[in-house]
Amino acid sequence: MRRALTVVQAQQWACALTAFFAFCACVVSGELGLVLVLLFPAAIIGAALFGHRVHGKLEWLWTAGLACALVYFASRVAAGQVDAVLAAARFTALLCIHRLWRRRTQRDEILLLLLSLLLLCAGAALSAELLFGAAFIGFSVAATWAMALTHLRFEIESGRGTALLQSRRLATPRLLGALALLSVLGIAGAAVVFVTFPRVALRSLRRPSHKQPLAGLSDQVDLSLQGAIGDDPRVVLRVQLSPDPGIEHLAMHWRARGLSVWTGQGWRTAEAGQMPAVRMAPRPKRRPGGRQHIQSADIEAVAGFSDGVVLTPEGWPLAVDFKRQMTARGPSQRLYRNAAGDLFYQPIDIGDLRYVVTVSRDDSDRALLRGRGNDYPPWLKPELSLPANLDPRIAALAQRIGGAKDPVDAAAAIEKWLSGTLQYTRDLAGETRDPISNFLFKRRRGHCELFSSTMVIMLRSLGIPARNVTGYFGGERTSAGYYAVRGGDAHSWVEVYFPGAGFVTFDPTPAAERGGQERGLWAQALLAWDALQQRWRAFVIDFDLVSQGHAVARIGEVFSEAARRLSGKTSTDTRLRNLFLSGVSLFLLAAAVALWTRRMRLPRGALARRSPLGPDQRRAIALFRDARRKLQRAGIDLPRAMTASELGRVSPAANEVAASYSAARWGDAALSSKDVRRLLRDLSESLSARS
Amino acid sequence: MKGAVLMLPARAKTPAWKRRLVFTRIGRWYTALTVAIGFAAINTGNNLLFLILGLLLSSIVVSGILSEQSLKGIRIERRLPASAAAGEPALIGLCARNTKKRAPSFSLELRERGGHVRGRGFLIFLAAGETAEVAYPFAPVRRGRYRFEQLEVATRAPFGLFEKSRPIDADAEIVVFPRKVPAPVFEVSSLAREGEKPEDRVGLGLEVHGLRDHRAGEDARSIHWRSTARHGRLIGIDREQERRLRICVVFDHRGLSGEPLERAVERAAAVVSREIDTGAEVSLALAGQHLPAAAGDAQLRAALRMLALLEPADAATPSPRPDVDAAPLEVA
Repeated sequence: MRRALTVVQAQQWACALTAFFAFCACVVSGELGLVLVLLFPAAIIGAALFGHRVHGKLEWLWTAGLACALVYFASRVAAGQVDAVLAAARFTALLCIHRLWRRRTQRDEILLLLLSLLLLCAGAALSAELLFGAAFIGFSVAATWAMALTHLRFEIESGRGTALLQSRRLATPRLLGALALLSVLGIAGAAVVFVTFPRVALRSLRRPSHKQPLAGLSDQVDLSLQGAIGDDPRVVLRVQLSPDPGIEHLAMHWRARGLSVWTGQGWRTAEAGQMPAVRMAPRPKRRPGGRQHIQSADIEAVAGFSDGVVLTPEGWPLAVDFKRQMTARGPSQRLYRNAAGDLFYQPIDIGDLRYVVTVSRDDSDRALLRGRGNDYPPWLKPELSLPANLDPRIAALAQRIGGAKDPVDAAAAIEKWLSGTLQYTRDLAGETRDPISNFLFKRRRGHCELFSSTMVIMLRSLGIPARNVTGYFGGERTSAGYYAVRGGDAHSWVEVYFPGAGFVTFDPTPAAERGGQERGLWAQALLAWDALQQRWRAFVIDFDLVSQGHAVARIGEVFSEAARRLSGKTSTDTRLRNLFLSGVSLFLLAAAVALWTRRMRLPRGALARRSPLGPDQRRAIALFRDARRKLQRAGIDLPRAMTASELGRVSPAANEVAASYSAARWGDAALSSKDVRRLLRDLSESLSARS
Repeated sequence: MKGAVLMLPARAKTPAWKRRLVFTRIGRWYTALTVAIGFAAINTGNNLLFLILGLLLSSIVVSGILSEQSLKGIRIERRLPASAAAGEPALIGLCARNTKKRAPSFSLELRERGGHVRGRGFLIFLAAGETAEVAYPFAPVRRGRYRFEQLEVATRAPFGLFEKSRPIDADAEIVVFPRKVPAPVFEVSSLAREGEKPEDRVGLGLEVHGLRDHRAGEDARSIHWRSTARHGRLIGIDREQERRLRICVVFDHRGLSGEPLERAVERAAAVVSREIDTGAEVSLALAGQHLPAAAGDAQLRAALRMLALLEPADAATPSPRPDVDAAPLEVA
């Protein structure tokens, strides 16, 4: 038989578990440091195993250690090496460890719980991850156990029933289950408070931002690398388009940087500084006959993948609007622009960043670009420069494909030739003297950067300004309704300049090979996780006063719909109607489940009350009761309380009933339902014969 | 209040809905942290802090609902001891009944509120429909009347953040008898006792009052066998009523107060107890008060009660008036 825990054991484990979940909430931020990450779980296990042995010993060592830690963290904060929230979180974790090793009195346990709460708050300040939510739920359940059991333990210890302290019948799974249910109520209440508490933020004291990005888009391309391009399934962008195209897979370029300068082995950006983009560059004149589409993309750039670059969808960017940050840290971003039109933001925070880019897109009819001539402005010089040692075969090939054609036709022809003639591979070419010639005339297969680079060089050899562009391509729709762009969707393509129209996108990489190819289980799992994270961000992290207003309006609409339906009017809004019907269905379902549960529980409760009696004994009682009723109906006056033998004496017809009752009720004799029916029938017949 | 017992003012009936809420130590810390986290959440606009704030606030609400559920439907009765004497510990029982049909109550503290007595008992768990009793020690140090005003049922369940209590009117009083001391030994001359003497009427004594015909159904022990044999029919006996030893304890307490009065009262109580224990009929003559003679436990309790409530008397108070047909036993 499994041994249950005593109240003290259960309480100590619950408190340790609470501290562990609070620590987990901090760990998900990834900022606590490896030492603490290893130390804390070890301290919990060590304290559980050996805590009682060292209790009360070496107190001076603990005190000195904590004082040193305090001085160390304070000096680092003062020196600006670490921010105050992180230092406070680390010091609180150390205090928790100390308290885990020193737990005897009620004060110790209460302090441990309060420190755990502080640690949870530190976690909230440090991260906005979905994993924090998981740790929060774990904390809620464990803290409910811990608080209730701490209360119980010290009520008992304060002389109010000390015999119960070592009892293993108190902290039963049933009690823990009931407390867990209580914590569910707490979480539900937390959700209600969370939704209804007015979001009025002062924002006067906030954690400063971090300057170092973790990873990101590079400002150069190197075509001489060796190996193979890995397909990274991690999500780097979450995009919601307006208007929503409603398709599963997007075929859209997400532009990051334009690279104009050929290095001999690849590309780099032109040496030009960034300037604050107070307003966006004016859009070139509308193409005659073309139609413009305004599209906005609500982009959530995942931390560590954007490197300060604003990714824009295809088209001419009209506006960039930064949204409130995911975590309450740092000032809001400012927009910058370089000479190539690339957009950047500062400061580069390690947290996720959300912004809305509005672009103007033209019809993809390239015929509208014909006849614009080749009168290029002088600032396009970098986009026309050619390598000094350009292989003459490249120029000859370009001439053969696109020579004597209108620039747009030439670009289209080269694009078509490259994507149709050369093969795509993720294997890198390795170091070669001339990667373009090697790709065109020797290897004849390569990755997207080789395709785009080759097209740029060929166009420039024809005197058409072009540049290599990096970014992402594609987007997969998730269950949460947004498009996820993965790390493996990194891509490279070409922008060609046309007078009066600006740079226009061309992509020589075969269409089937653009973007990531990862479709496996791991990729699907990552996508599902990302969808969960996005919902977490949308419904929890980004919940603000506007969301509250929408929620109130929604509730008002539902009530209006209910009123309309109750008054017999039909609604024209199918969304509201569905919402109303869903609510009613849910209510009915909940009521049915409650009724069913009640029906299931009642007999169990009744049986539990009668549990000492067997089925034969219960039948005997029923027989006695029914026989009494029959005798009374037959006009025989019976006292309220009587024994079986008295019943037998009252009426000879009831003799057999009384004997059977006594034998079954007290003598362990069998009494089947059939016997009961027969005895009652005989009694009825004899009573009717008597009358 | 007269004498040694404080007088309590009359009190209006406590409404059933009335609750008292006080913070516990952890509750104070918890509330302070909740306020601090609320400020931090509003200040930073960090939704996760709002989430934590929501959890803390909802825990307070859940705690309030459950503590109310624990207190609801609890009936308490006080069970006083039959008698109590100063300096002798006694137990006072607090009987709690959970009248709810389904919901149990947790972590209940039953205690006295108001009045002269402080005491409490604790119940970890009280299932629906069940009754449980706890007792607390009552050790009065002085004689006199002790009043009980209200009983209070309190709970800190489920988290120990707050203590919610519900007062219940349960007025009662107990008269604490004088401290038990050895009875003083009196001089032989002062023990002017009479013997037990028969009275001239039929009764339950030992002496024969007369003979008569036996009545059917009478106890066979009442048959006078010798006369029956002589007369050839059943002859019964009527017994003489005997009067018990009758003693009047005389205690003139005029001019006494404080400790001398207390000691004298204790001696008087000891004499009364001893004499009643010997089977005598005892009357009590005090300055301005008189208890007619009687025997048995009821008389003992009446006499001790009178002594317990005895107050200092001045010279104007009438002197004690001993019974003329009883042997006086004066307590100095």
